[in-house]
Amino acid sequence: MSVYAMEKTPWRMPRMGIALAAILMTLSGCVTTGGSQSAVYRARDKVAPALVHIRPVKEVYSRGKKEEVSIIGSGFIISTDGYVVTNEHVAGESKFVRCVLSNKEEVDAEVVGVDPFTDIAVLKLAVDYTLPTVKLGVSGTLEAGEMVMALGSPHGLARSVSLGIISVTDRYLESHSDMVSPYNTWIQTDAAINPGNSGGPLCNLRGEVIGVNARVLRGAENVGFAIPIDVVKEVSKQLIASGHVARSNVGISLQEMLAKTDDIHAQGVVIADVDPLSPASETDIRPGDILVKLNGAPVNARFEEDLPSVHKQIADLPVGQPATLTVQRGEEQLEITVTTEMKGALKGDEAEFTEWGFTASELTPELVRRAQLPSRQGVFVSGTQVGGLAGSAGLGQGDIILKIDDTVVENLAQFQEHYRKAVESQKKLTLLTVKNRALTRYIIVKQGPAAPGQDS
Amino acid sequence: MNKTRGALIGIVLGLASWAAPSQAAVSNDGFTQSVIVQAHERLTPTVGILQYSSEITNQNTGEITKRDSSALALVVSAQGLVMAHGHMVLEDNQPFNIKITLGQGSDEKEYEAELLEKPEDVNIAFLQLKSDTPLNLPYVRFAPGRNLSIGEPVMLFGVFGETLDNVVGLWEGRIGAIIEKPRRTYCLDSAVRFGFVTGPVVNRQGEVAGVVGFDLTQAEGGDLYVRSGHPLVYQADLFTKYIENPPSKESLAQGDDAWLGVFTQPLTEDFQEYWKLDHSGGLIVSTVVPASPAATAGLQLGDIIIDFNGTPIKARQDRDVIGFTKLVRETGAGAATKVTVLRGTEKVEIPITLGVRPRSSADADEFEDKIFGMTVREITQDIRIRLNLTEDVQGVIVRRVTSGSTAEIAKIRPGVIILGMGDYPVRNLMEYQEAVEKIAAAKPAELTIFARVGTATGFFRLQPRWEP
Repeated sequence: MSVYAMEKTPWRMPRMGIALAAILMTLSGCVTTGGSQSAVYRARDKVAPALVHIRPVKEVYSRGKKEEVSIIGSGFIISTDGYVVTNEHVAGESKFVRCVLSNKEEVDAEVVGVDPFTDIAVLKLAVDYTLPTVKLGVSGTLEAGEMVMALGSPHGLARSVSLGIISVTDRYLESHSDMVSPYNTWIQTDAAINPGNSGGPLCNLRGEVIGVNARVLRGAENVGFAIPIDVVKEVSKQLIASGHVARSNVGISLQEMLAKTDDIHAQGVVIADVDPLSPASETDIRPGDILVKLNGAPVNARFEEDLPSVHKQIADLPVGQPATLTVQRGEEQLEITVTTEMKGALKGDEAEFTEWGFTASELTPELVRRAQLPSRQGVFVSGTQVGGLAGSAGLGQGDIILKIDDTVVENLAQFQEHYRKAVESQKKLTLLTVKNRALTRYIIVKQGPAAPGQDS
Repeated sequence: MNKTRGALIGIVLGLASWAAPSQAAVSNDGFTQSVIVQAHERLTPTVGILQYSSEITNQNTGEITKRDSSALALVVSAQGLVMAHGHMVLEDNQPFNIKITLGQGSDEKEYEAELLEKPEDVNIAFLQLKSDTPLNLPYVRFAPGRNLSIGEPVMLFGVFGETLDNVVGLWEGRIGAIIEKPRRTYCLDSAVRFGFVTGPVVNRQGEVAGVVGFDLTQAEGGDLYVRSGHPLVYQADLFTKYIENPPSKESLAQGDDAWLGVFTQPLTEDFQEYWKLDHSGGLIVSTVVPASPAATAGLQLGDIIIDFNGTPIKARQDRDVIGFTKLVRETGAGAATKVTVLRGTEKVEIPITLGVRPRSSADADEFEDKIFGMTVREITQDIRIRLNLTEDVQGVIVRRVTSGSTAEIAKIRPGVIILGMGDYPVRNLMEYQEAVEKIAAAKPAELTIFARVGTATGFFRLQPRWEP
């Protein structure tokens, strides 16, 4: 059985062992009641026909090479003409996706769009007949304790159903490397979720899908997390319409008010950081300012669970338009105008440079920040092959290529063009200027005579 | 020696592979039995057992673990100066409770010992035995200036630990390789037991030519080449000066090391060909440290250093960079120098006044804050480079956080850089101490710390537990 561990795992271990034990006891009480049994059957019958077992072939870049990896996930059909919702971490970076429907028919699907910020992807099944769909519920009115079912392919085992309750309706999960969820809190459930459940529906006993299962807490038992369906509805609609989700960026990091004070009267949200190279960096906004209004509308985040909605308020500002931020600085209240920019990608495009034996990706704002580059120019070396030309010349994973010969590297496409020229002309020596952390250095890539087979 | 003392513990940085007994070739080309017997008799009383505990700080988490270790101790003066393996003194390894046992049977005696300053140019630790009465101990007499040659057999003296009751024994070796650059280094032809490290190395004449060593110091290119675990012979000339004049902070600080503030790469043939230079050899300036003497004087990225204050720079290989670093360091802080660089096709002479080499994190000042429960330290230049911190980041870096402390509860972790506490900016260790004192006097119910975590800034809220 080819199973890929595709669950994403919160890095922080919430301390909730005692609470969890209590919930499990409640659950065992619920399951034995006769009324629930028939409700479970009914809900299953409503959702299961639209359940999809998904087998994408992902393109992953590993040790300087592009490789294909076959994985397994879950999804569900939301329209009779074949749109399927799943996770971005299931369908992202896939050129080829095969789906198995509930009647065991195998159908190819196209990736319509992905949104790594919410971990949502939409596929389109290649069918010309009417398909069964799920009914999408509402996640805004959920309550802890409500019974829910998870459907999907845990460990590749298609058509599996598990039962539990909602443990918490609005769990906040901190970002960790490429696992982020700035715009949503999570539904926490004790319904069993395992690798392979990713992208599958979490539904209530009325058979309405209220979340998309996506993460588990590693090492814990039955601490799973689903993306609230209200978020999924909005994101999938945009993905179907345009293939991507447009968001605004201002360039401020936020923290809940509790990070500064537990004064219950304190209103607003703490500006923790101002991102260099962002619109906010061109204004007088400073870390420590309290953002109290956005275009005149009050913003408030006393607890970390309140942060995603503020992030979303900012993301929903029109891109490229001025916005007024009202900030409190000590006794003073200031109005600062910022022109928003398009939110940068979370994951950069990646490419393999076969002849030199390395892979590189587009610089994302996060990579630029981490490397503290003065501009967004350059490409990020994601891996080098042992014995490859680039690796032997001293290029390594984590290097940022700033220049190729005398040309400043602007982006991946432009670098590819220069690289292609160097390879095709069999240029003997190519100079790369690279940066890694605080140090820059020069690397000479030496191309020998054409490799055997090429010179005939 | 006493069996209960425990076996020699040899788990120091990758020594595992070396701990296996070697298949030393048995040969009789040169050593006569009488030379060996005499050397054994003479050297046995000089070899003792060093036992110590060390406090090891995890670089990343700041977590401290403790470990007991033992090793060979070699008495090198009648007054009780002792040499031991240099790895007992590392940046994150603080030895304490040091004891040295000398003598055999009824003559066995345990001494407390004090660790002296470790020299930079040889990987040996020096210790001084403590005694209420003047000591007059048997000690090793080294024969300096004895060059060893390739293939020359040598007799190594050391301690057979574990089940062999720490008996002083011998092991035959041969000079397997001689590295000429950056300084002459003798490599042994086969592995030796850990109990032989710092043990005397005797030549065919019965003279003690040096001691068994391992790991190259920076002066030998130890940063560039991974030669750990390969046994070496440290010839006596490397350390006899420290026996005559035991190392101390004062004796080692022979003026400040000079500092230029550049990172360089050798001008290899490929670079020379790429840039179509007539000039052969040199150092390409690849990084100029901000606010360094080099930066002030206007050295630029891509400049090729071809002459440093009258000394031509002909670097072609990585190891040549070390020679340049040494040359700069020894030129003297504050010296007015002239550096000639190739900038494009032009030769440019740049006057540079050398600065003082900034302190490294190993010598960084720390402050243990018992009020909030964390130890912070100054941000040294090497940390700045390691963490890619620009000059505008001024603060203190958290080294350790006490379990259960106010700081730990607020989720402050080692590596966090504190930039401000409450209304007080914290730009250095002194400002941190002052801020803590003022806050402790005011006893606020909550305190906001402004800090940098990774590349982003943010706030931590502390709820101090003030004693009534």
